Amino acid sequence: MNDKIAKALYRAAALTFEELGFMFPSSDLDPLQKYASVDALGCVDFEGPYTGRLVVRMCGGVLPVLAANMMGELEPPEQRLQRDALGEVANIICGNLLPSLAGAKEVFQLKTPRAMAAGEPLFPVPGTKPTAEVQVGLEEGRADLLLFLIDAPQE
Amino acid sequence: MALNVLVVDDSAVMRAIVIKTLHLSGVALGQIYEAKDGEEALRVLDENWVDLALIDINMPVLDGMDLIDRVRQNPETSDLSIIVVSTESSETRIENVQRKGVAFVHKPFTPETLRQAILRATGVIDERQDSKSPVSGGGFDF
Repeated sequence: MNDKIAKALYRAAALTFEELGFMFPSSDLDPLQKYASVDALGCVDFEGPYTGRLVVRMCGGVLPVLAANMMGELEPPEQRLQRDALGEVANIICGNLLPSLAGAKEVFQLKTPRAMAAGEPLFPVPGTKPTAEVQVGLEEGRADLLLFLIDAPQE
Repeated sequence: MALNVLVVDDSAVMRAIVIKTLHLSGVALGQIYEAKDGEEALRVLDENWVDLALIDINMPVLDGMDLIDRVRQNPETSDLSIIVVSTESSETRIENVQRKGVAFVHKPFTPETLRQAILRATGVIDERQDSKSPVSGGGFDF
């Protein structure tokens, strides 16, 4: 686990949940947040100075609230729009994170974010461990962020 | 002057966020059109009068950069005010976008950020300067 990258990942995620979803992120998880079950997964793949994938795992019923907040609605939108919201969150976190790791001049190609199927491997190369993994407490659940980098920068 | 605005993004959620932020920005709005990709945007531009387009970069079918090129090549739309709204953070890529004569707004963004970008891009005078503002500079981000 790369601590420097983990800190940058947490900062990018917290900013996005706060500013896009009107949520108050916390790094200290209470038991309800810590043991919340997984509801949905989304990911965005990227290429550039580093190649890899960011996976966002939403737990404990946070996604419907997040999607409603993003759209300015009182009620959660339909599932399709919730998945869309998850993809946008992954996209924005990734877009903000990568230049902070590689430098502001570097260019990355982000693929279209997508929902992941249940049981789908988190990363296509078997046995690959995430370079950085953080948990963000949100309401009564949490978001897990797993960053997979090929040729990850050293600590 | 009320602006007719076209919002182009393949994400329905992001289109909703942009439109919500437009309403919060205090800019006088006329008709708001939506398109989910560049091809659909070109059809909307062909059939309607649009003053300003807010365009994402990464989209299927016809992406934002190609859409801007097509808009600029068409004499009917070559002067259209365009703002790219994107997660892109690379200075190199942002400079490339701005070389096409368009403004750039980074996601996430505030109503005030969007307002200022619109005023710069369209040249519309900020009538709110002399009146009470519905949106403060420290407003919510979207």
